Formats: sequence, C-alpha cells, structure tokens
Amino acid sequence: MAIAEDKSRRNKRKTREPEVETRPAFGDAVNLVLASDEEGGGDDHQDADTDSDVEDFPEIDTGTDSGVGSEESEEDEEEEESEDEDEEQDTEGDPGSDSAIYIFPKATSTVSNITGRPKRVYPEIEPDYNSDSSTEDDPNRIGNVPLHWYDDLPHIGYDINGKRVLRPAKGDELDKFLETVEDPASWTSAFDKNMQMNKPLSAEELDIIRRLRLGENPDAGYDPYEPTVEWFTGKGKQEVMPLSAAPEPKRRWLPSKWEKQKIMKIVRAIRQGRIVGSKPKTADNTPQFYAIWNEVTSIQPPPLPAPKLPPPTHAESYNPPEEYLPTEAERKEWENTEPEDRERDFIPQKFSALRLVPGYDQFIKERFNRQLDLYLAPRVQRKKLNVDPNSLLPKLPSPSSLRPFPTYQSLKVILSGSRVRCVSVSPDGAWVASGDESGVVYLWEVIVGHEVKRWTLGSKIGAIEWCPRTDVSYFVASVEDKLHFIVPPNLPSAILSSTQNAVTSAPPPPTASPVKWASTSRVENGVILTITLPATSGLPKQITWHRKGDYLASVSSSESQVWIHQVSRRHSQAPFKKIKGTIQLVLFHPVKPQFFVATQRYVRLYDLMQQKLIKTLMPGIKWISSMDVHPSGDHIIVGGYDRKLCWFDLELSEKPYKVLRYHSRAIRSLHFHPTYPLFASSSDDGSIQVFHSRVYNDLMTDPLIVPLKILRGHDVSDGLGVLQAKWVNKQPWLVSAGADGKVVVWCSS
Amino acid sequence: MGRLRKKGKAGAAKAYMTRSAAVKKLQCSLADFRRLCILKGIFPREPRNKKKANKGSTAPTSFYYSKDIAYLLHEPILNKLRDHKAFAKKISRALGRGEWSTAKHLEEQKPSYKLDHIIKERYPTFVDAVRDIDDALCMIFLFSSLPANDRVSAALVANCSRLAAEWQLYIMHSRSLRKVFLSIKGIYYQADVMDQNVTWLVPYQFTQNIPSDVDVRVMLTFLELYQTLLGFVFFKLYTDAGLIYPPALDASRDEAGAGTGAFSLQVADRTVVAPEPGCTTKKASSKEVRRAIKSIVTGNSGSGHDESMDVVDQAPKATEADEEFVPHPSTNDSGATASLPTFQSLSSIPRPNSSSLFSPYTFFLSREVSRPVFEFLIRSFGGRVGWPPPSGSGSPFTESDESITHVIIDRPTAARDNESLEGSEPKGKRKYVQPQWVADCINSGRILLEDLYRQGATLPPHLSPFDAKPGAYDPTATLSGDESEASIHEEKESAGDAESESEEAKGAAKKALPVHVDAESLHAAELAAEVAGVEYDEFQKGVRKLETARRGAAEKTAKQGEEEDMGKVLLSNKKRKLYERMKHSQRKQEAEVCFMIFPSLFALLML
Repeated sequence: MAIAEDKSRRNKRKTREPEVETRPAFGDAVNLVLASDEEGGGDDHQDADTDSDVEDFPEIDTGTDSGVGSEESEEDEEEEESEDEDEEQDTEGDPGSDSAIYIFPKATSTVSNITGRPKRVYPEIEPDYNSDSSTEDDPNRIGNVPLHWYDDLPHIGYDINGKRVLRPAKGDELDKFLETVEDPASWTSAFDKNMQMNKPLSAEELDIIRRLRLGENPDAGYDPYEPTVEWFTGKGKQEVMPLSAAPEPKRRWLPSKWEKQKIMKIVRAIRQGRIVGSKPKTADNTPQFYAIWNEVTSIQPPPLPAPKLPPPTHAESYNPPEEYLPTEAERKEWENTEPEDRERDFIPQKFSALRLVPGYDQFIKERFNRQLDLYLAPRVQRKKLNVDPNSLLPKLPSPSSLRPFPTYQSLKVILSGSRVRCVSVSPDGAWVASGDESGVVYLWEVIVGHEVKRWTLGSKIGAIEWCPRTDVSYFVASVEDKLHFIVPPNLPSAILSSTQNAVTSAPPPPTASPVKWASTSRVENGVILTITLPATSGLPKQITWHRKGDYLASVSSSESQVWIHQVSRRHSQAPFKKIKGTIQLVLFHPVKPQFFVATQRYVRLYDLMQQKLIKTLMPGIKWISSMDVHPSGDHIIVGGYDRKLCWFDLELSEKPYKVLRYHSRAIRSLHFHPTYPLFASSSDDGSIQVFHSRVYNDLMTDPLIVPLKILRGHDVSDGLGVLQAKWVNKQPWLVSAGADGKVVVWCSS
Repeated sequence: MGRLRKKGKAGAAKAYMTRSAAVKKLQCSLADFRRLCILKGIFPREPRNKKKANKGSTAPTSFYYSKDIAYLLHEPILNKLRDHKAFAKKISRALGRGEWSTAKHLEEQKPSYKLDHIIKERYPTFVDAVRDIDDALCMIFLFSSLPANDRVSAALVANCSRLAAEWQLYIMHSRSLRKVFLSIKGIYYQADVMDQNVTWLVPYQFTQNIPSDVDVRVMLTFLELYQTLLGFVFFKLYTDAGLIYPPALDASRDEAGAGTGAFSLQVADRTVVAPEPGCTTKKASSKEVRRAIKSIVTGNSGSGHDESMDVVDQAPKATEADEEFVPHPSTNDSGATASLPTFQSLSSIPRPNSSSLFSPYTFFLSREVSRPVFEFLIRSFGGRVGWPPPSGSGSPFTESDESITHVIIDRPTAARDNESLEGSEPKGKRKYVQPQWVADCINSGRILLEDLYRQGATLPPHLSPFDAKPGAYDPTATLSGDESEASIHEEKESAGDAESESEEAKGAAKKALPVHVDAESLHAAELAAEVAGVEYDEFQKGVRKLETARRGAAEKTAKQGEEEDMGKVLLSNKKRKLYERMKHSQRKQEAEVCFMIFPSLFALLML
C-alpha cells in the first residue's frame, strides 16, 4: 500500500515539477503539504517527517512483540527515510546514491591483465576479529539456543566472562510508546532477541530492507544488466576442438531400420488400399447420374404414388368466361371464410392482357402446403364407388300399381284452436269423433266434414274409440279418470234401442270394485254410461276394444294401470297385479285370446285364458310410442319416439323383421287398415307416411312393405305434429288429427 | 384354456406406431425423422380404430406403420444423419476453440449421402418415376426463379435452373408438349412423356418471396430428393433419345441471357450398332450432325443454336424410315435395350400431327412478351422464333426478317406504335396476335383465326384444357351454342369485329335475361337487350327457353324428391348414408351447372 502511495505521490510531483523548479528554496515543504492535503491519510508519514509531529502515529505498537506489524512499520519508516534521502540526492543532482551505502566490502572493477577484460576485485579480507560477524562483540554468549529458556530468569544469558547478562529493564506499554515518540531513532531500531532490547539498525541493514521491499537484489553491488560475456561464441572465439572426442556414431548417417519398417507398413497399407487419402471435396459433391433403371427391376411392387393435384379449372384462367367471375357478395363471402374452409384457394380474376397478370403471391405457400400433404397427411386408399345411386334403392313395385291409397287432402276441418289429441272413425265409416285438449268431443261426417254434435266434457280428452260392433253405435271417450260412453244423435231407432240395451241394461256388478259403473237414462245428452276409475289412476291415455265389442281395455297414465272392462257384465278387472316397467299401450289380439302389452322398451304377449306370458318382443326402441297389430294377428308394428318403426313377424322371432327409420321426428301413431293392405304412421315432423303392407298366407314369403306416399298438410306446432291417424273402415281414406288443431281427411284419387 | 393373450401384442396395436414412438425407436431427432420420411416417402396412416392403435388413448396423434419404421431403421441415410450430427458437434467444438486447421480438416471430411438407392427403391421402374415428377418439376421451376439468399444457396438455384432448362430442352426436342394453360397462378404445361401425362406449373417471371410461415428446411429436403430424381430421369430420357446428358452449357451465352439457348444438345455416339442396312447412313448422319454442331458451337454466330436444334431433330427422322420394320418395340425391356439402335424407332414413333403445329410459321416475340415461355411453347410445336435483343441474346433472326409470319404482341394499339412497327414491313404479310392465341392454338390442336386475337382486341375467354369433367358446366356450350364454333378457322364466317361484338352482346343479354320474373323487369331486360343489339326474336327465344327450363327444373326437383324419399325409407342405415352422400354430390354438381347458366334463376329456385 505504501509503495503505491509513494508512486502516486511521485507521479504527482512529476506533474508539478515546473512549479517546483520556479521555487526551489522551500518547494519541497510546500509541495508536500499540498500533497498531504490532497491525499488525506496517506501522507501522515510525510507530515511526521517534516514536522516531526509524532502524535499522528499512535497505531504502531512496537514494544509488544517482534511481530510482522512492527517490522512493517519499521520498514515503512526506513522506506520513508531512504526516500527522503533519494529526494535530497535528486535535488543535489547526484544519481548514484545507491552506491553510497555498502554492507559488503566494495568491489572495484579493474582490467585483468590476463584476459584483458574488466573484472571485479574485492578488497582482501583481513582475518581479524572484525572480519566476521561471529567475532563481533556480543555481550551475550549463550549461542544459538532458544531464548525462551531464559524467560523465567532475571538474566538473558552470559557474557564472555561467564557473568550473567541481566535482562535489560523493560518499560511498560506507556514507556514503549513514549520511547517511540521521544526517540527519533526508534524508527530505525529493531528488537534484538539476543539482547532483548531494541537496537538501531545500521545504514547497510536499512538499505537491504529497502531493496527487499522494492523487490531488488539485496546486494547493492549486483548489476542485473551486465553485458553478456561471450566466452565461447562470437567471432573468433568458436570452439575449434569438439567437446567430446568420441567417434561419430553410425546412426548419425545410416537411415533407421525401424523407421523404415514403419514407413513400409504404411506404404503397404496405402498400396493395398487400407489407407485412403482424403479425396478432393469438389469432385465428391457433384452428383453422378447413370442409368439407374437399366438393372433388373426389383420384384417389390412400387409404393403407392402420391395423389396428383386436381387439374386447374376454367375459373383459374387469367381470362375466364364472365360467368366464373364472383359477384360482390361471393367475393365478400370468400374473404370472410377461413382459408381452410374455402372451396377454392383463389378468387377468379379477369385480365384483359397477359402482360397485366401479376405474380401469384401464394405460390410458395401452396407448394409448401402440397409438400406438407405429401409427408404429413395420412393417406387412405379409397375405392371410388362408380355406382348409380339409384341402384342402391330396392326394387319395389311402382306405387301407382298398388292403388288405392290416400293421395290428397280432401277435407280439412278446423274445429277449435286447441290440439286435437285423438280421433276415431265409426265402424260404418260415416262418422268421425275427435277429441281435443280443451275437452270437447266433436262428431262430424267424414264426407263433408259437417259437425253434428259436440260434447264438452270439461278437461283434456285422452282417447276416443268407437265400439267395433255394427249393430250398436256408440263410442267411448276418456276424460280425467272417467270413461264416458256416448251415443251419437239421430240414430235409427233400432240401433239406438239395441245400443241402450247393450250398454245400460246390464246387471249390476255382483261385488264391490274400485271401478264405478254409473248409467244415466238421459239419452239426449248422449252420455249413457260412465265408468269411474280409481281416483289416483289419472287420465286413461289409451282405450282399445276387443274385436267383438264387449271387452274394452284402458291404460291409465299416472299409475300405468290396465283395466279390462266387460260392458255386458258391467265388470272391470285389472289383469296385472304387478308388471315390470311402465305400460304404454295394450292391444287385443284380433283372432286369439291374447293380449299385447307394450312397456317402455318391450312388447309382451300374454295369453288371457291361461294367464301367462307367451313371448317378449324386443324392438330395440328407446321409448315405444305406438303399436298396432295386423288384422291377421301374425304381424305387429311398433313405433317409437326415437323415430324407429319395427315390423315383427310373430311367427319368427323376438327381434324385428324390419326396422325402418324415415320420419325426422318421433312417431306418434300407427294404424293398420282393417281391410286394405295399408298402414300409416304419423309423426311429429308433420307428415304421414302411407305404406303398402301385403302379408302372405304362405309362410315362406316375407311380407312386402312398399312406401307409397308421404302426406304433408299438417303444421308442426310446439314440436308436435300429427298426433293420431286412423283409417276409415271400408275406404282407403285416412283421418288425421294434428297438433295445429286441424283434422284432415285424406282420400285416394 | 388357450394361451393367454397379452394386450397390445397383436393387431392394430402392433401394426401402428405413433410418431413419438417412432422417433424414439429410431433414436433420432424429430427433424431427422421428418427428413427421413420425406426422402423415403413414408407418410402417416389412418388406423381403422384409433383407440385400438394407441393403447386405448384417443388423443390426436399421427400413426405410422410399424413396418415402415422398421424399414427406416436400417436405412443407410439414418447412419449418415447420425454421422452428420457427430460431425456438427465436432466442428462446432473446433470452431469454438479456434482450431481452424482441425475445423478445415473436418469440413473436408464432412459426411455426405447419396439418394441413388432411394430413387431406385421408390421408383422401381422408369415409368413409376416419370409418373411422379409433377411435383418435382414444379419445385425445380419455382426454385430456379427464386433469388438466392442465406437460406437458399446460389448453387442450388443454379442447379435448379439448369435442370429446368434441361427439361425444357428435352420437351422441345421430343415435341411432347400437349397442353398449356395460362392461369392466374402461373402457366400450367402438360407433356406426354413415356405415355404419362406430366403436368407442371411454372410461376410467372416475378420475384417470389418466401413467406415467413413456410418452413424452408422442408422445401429444401424435398428439393434434395427432387434434384436427384430429375437427374436420373433426365439421364434416362436423354440417353433414350440418343442425346448426351448433361447437355453442354455455353457459359458465355448463358451470361448473355440466352436461356435454354445456352445449352447444346449432342447426339451420343453409339458404340453398339445392330447389323442393319440403314446403320451406315444413320451413322454418317449422326456424325454429320455432330460436326455441324461443333462448327456451330465454335462459331460465334448468334443464330447457331436454333439450327443445331433443328439438325438434331432431323437425325431421328432420317432413321425413321429405315427402322420401320422393327416388329415389337416394347417399353418393358426398354432399359435393357437402351443402347441398341432399335430404340430409335421408339423415340421416333410418328407423332400426332399437332406436334408440328407451328412448323410452317415463323414467329417474332415482341419486347413485352415473356421470351422463355413463348420460345418454349413455339419451339415445342416446331415453329421458328426470334426476339429482340432486350429479351436476351441468341435470336436466330432479327425483326426485319422477311420470313416472319406472326408477331406476338401484347400491348394496346396506339397509332404511333403501329407506325413504327408496321411502317417498315409489308402490313399484309405479318399477323399481329396476342399471346393467348398461341396457347389456344396449342390446346385446340389447330391454327385458330387470328382476327379474334389481333392486337388490342378484346380476347375470347381462355379456357382450361384440363377441365373436362363429364356432366360439368361447359362454358363453350352456351345458350345459342354457335359461339365456340364460330371462332374456328375452318368456318370462315363474318369478320372478327362483328363476331366479338355479337358475343359481347350475347353476354350482356345473358346477364340481363334471368333477371325478369315479372312483367316489369321483363320489359327492362328487353330494353337492355335491345340496347345491346340483340334481335327481338332471339331475346324471346331466350326468354322462352329460360321459362321452360325453370318450370322443368322445378317440376323435376319436386317429383324427384318425392320418389327418392320413398325408396330411401327401406334402405339400411349404412346404405342410406352412402346413397345420400352420392345424391348430395350429384345435386351439388347440378347446382353448380345451374348456377353457371342461370345465376338469378338459381337463386329463385333455392328460395
């Protein structure tokens, strides 16, 4: 640290030299003061020197031990002094100050009379007591023994006479401090272990210390930059004789055998081609083409070639016909669609001349996309079906050959605004009873649509069904938990009386039953009999008659309870104590004493006589909505809310013979024509589909189902379309009731 | 109990491999995998059931055949790619340490690979290769016009342009160009090479910039393959045509902008000669040809090349007569007999007449006409062609040549221009046509009436020769149906002016026709037609036609819809879907045609 400071100081001094020169008398002092001002604490030593003010130097504890710190401080002092000396000498103009102090005897350089060169001559050493330090007058003569042996003793050794050398008085810390302050030579004194006291250093020793600190050779007389002495080199001084007299070895002039062997090994390897030198790069780089396809072709089939891009169309022309140019709307649409969704990746343009055609900015992008397709797109080999789509359609007889069937809407009856839920056609085919959601039952003629009578029954009508007997004439309508037996007006007296006989003059029920039968004598209202089901059973949603017109089954909506009512005996019974699933529909077998029960997903066939399950049909429909049985009794169709229609052949299997799905919405009702080979399905999509369904007596022939006609005329309101479609008994006519409040009669042309 | 079957050991799980599994299996980077796939032509497959192929996962991944990956596994290039990876590490290390000599030494030993075996694998026969060069040609032509930059090296561009020129030279020499289509994307060409239709697209001569969303590395990998493929294909084509491959390039002419004219075709010297009576004459002729070529090449005349081309063309023709009796020139063993002179007969099969369509004519390209394109087109059909010095050197004749029959000009008529151009030459002899005329002549296979294409005229529409789908809308079969025929040279009808005028008028009338539905708009349309100069009778005819067409279409659609619905009911689900798809596409096509013919009527029907 001190050196660095000194150096910087020196540099500063150099910069100020002109000023110094102008004021040589007291320049140093002034200079130093200035420097101290600038450099702060770094110049304390200098201050001490110039002003001999010691108070600024309290840190150095010289007396405690002979540690590094004290030595350093001494050296520092030494340094300072020598520096001062230097400076003084500098001012005096004498550069050779270093040679002034010598520890060793000074050497003189003389010219040797033997070699004729300059040489150093040291003065002779006189072998007296002064010649060696060992002969110095050292009072302590204990030799080189550890001094701590004497630590506890009052003396520190013995002198030459064997007398004790007493330990010099050692002051306390204050004394030591005062000593450093008072004695100016204390800077240049060091602790002498032998004498256990501080001894001032000689000038030679101080010089050695200074040199060591500067990193110089401690010997002041040593010149590191002496000119080299050429003893054996240089002109005329070369050695004439060799240093060794040994004869020159053979290896100096004979080639090595081993080296030759090694080289020959490499040569051989090169000759045999085991070692190949690196070829020039340029020749390797150019591709060499040759007749690659001249060799025998491989047996392997070639990989599938990539599909080619479609060829350009007229629209891509630079001058396309006018009709290919997009309109403004098309252009806008093209711009608004995503590039992936565009039908074509360019927009047709017309240029009047070829020179006006600009560069196509998507060219590279399209090439890149093509390459992405080539290596990233999965390729699937598809067989292109070159089939006429019409050949897929089954060969069916022409509908015109299967007449008659309803083709046009002959009558549209709008009775009320509310939905017409149910419709029923009388067995003679002259009357229609329809019931709507507002609780009104209308009776009207099929041919002209003339309303004959209406009954207001209070709430929503669940079902209406005419009694299939021809000698009597009445129909049953279900409201709330009641079944009303209604006689149409203006009946011939014979029929009216037989009807009254059939319905009212039955004996009263023998036992108590939850079902109440109540007949009224007031015929003018038309309601001659009312069956009241148990209160919780809810609206009977379906009524179905046995073919003979004596039994009648009703399905109640809330408990899905089935009741079979016998009109002649005024007796009601529930055939099923417990049935799995909610019952949707029931049907009497037209020929046999059997009973179909449709739950939500299955249709079960029960034998009524033996009271057991015959079979379970699995239509695979999620929710059965409608069902009808063919008049022959061997086939049954089941429709579902999931748009499916299943045709079952009861002789064959539990699985449907045919599943059709053609309506776009749920199927609402199905009905087989009692006499014609027709059936119809109505759906929520507002359409009625009429089928020809011929069933053969021959068991080997499959039934023929031919779609004939789609009847459209009902509107869809609130997602409901045609709620029920019924055939007119002896005519190929159809009556349909829609959710739009219309009842339509469809006739054949 | 049979053997236990472990899951994922058979079937789709084994046959397919996801991409990440493939990369793991090959122990290479994804970029290397991509490179391998491109070079080897391996592409992902779509498994029938993704869940089965991907161990029950339905995550969207791409699948490869496991066998394809196994096939990649012992591909020599895979090892080369690994070598290259090691090399890249070594050289970056050397460069990082500043060991320049080591780096130089390494650079000299840079591993490189060849694609010859891949070409052979992917295209076992030559015909396979020819069938698949469409994309390669497109890329070569694209890159030959790209500016070189740090991603696309100048050497690559030079090589691409060399290959492009070689292909054009071959097409011109073999006269195998068939169709050309000037589109807004570029120019489509179709040539008939080895009985394969090769279609390629060349961009117009503008500077292309590589967009930032395009991965150039992918394109360069493809280009690497395509360059090798085309090299081999051209070698075979040239040698089969009796030419030396590669054709010699005259650097000085190339620098002068001679384009394809800088290359000179040389007839190969056949060492194996069958003992046939005609061989001596043939030999002599080929020698003569070579001598002639040499003299032309050494001579400094600018018109040298075209003559040399012609002379070369004559060489096979001379032999044609001698080798007519060769009974079965089969293409299958063509490779084995390539060096035999019998192959001459193959290459000189009498060409269709249209290949020498322009041979009686001499063309001169105007300054604004793209010279490389039209030089290629005209020379491919046997015409002589010259061009002014600004279009490049090497024109065989100057503008003042007497033999020029057609001048291809693409600038509007201006009084001054006409004076300067036509003042010096006899006006009646030369015909000034627009460039489209050349393309239309080529596509129709005969010389069309020049009047329609005269300088400054409104051109008839340029139609794609490729667009001929059965049942699609045909723009030439218009309402009156006589327009397209009118333009044909054979039917010398009225003057071109009247023709084009009437055409315009009809276009206008057609535009006006479908608008009328009510009486008022009908009247307006009538007026419009009258303004356009359409006869009243004709207009009425059009109206009636439209009416009947509309009524017919409406009835037809109603009736058809009904019947279809009926039959569809009984179809199974699968068949119904198929049927509906087919019907949908049919209807779409019909709608397109309908839309083209009666745009606004179509809109009405749709309502």
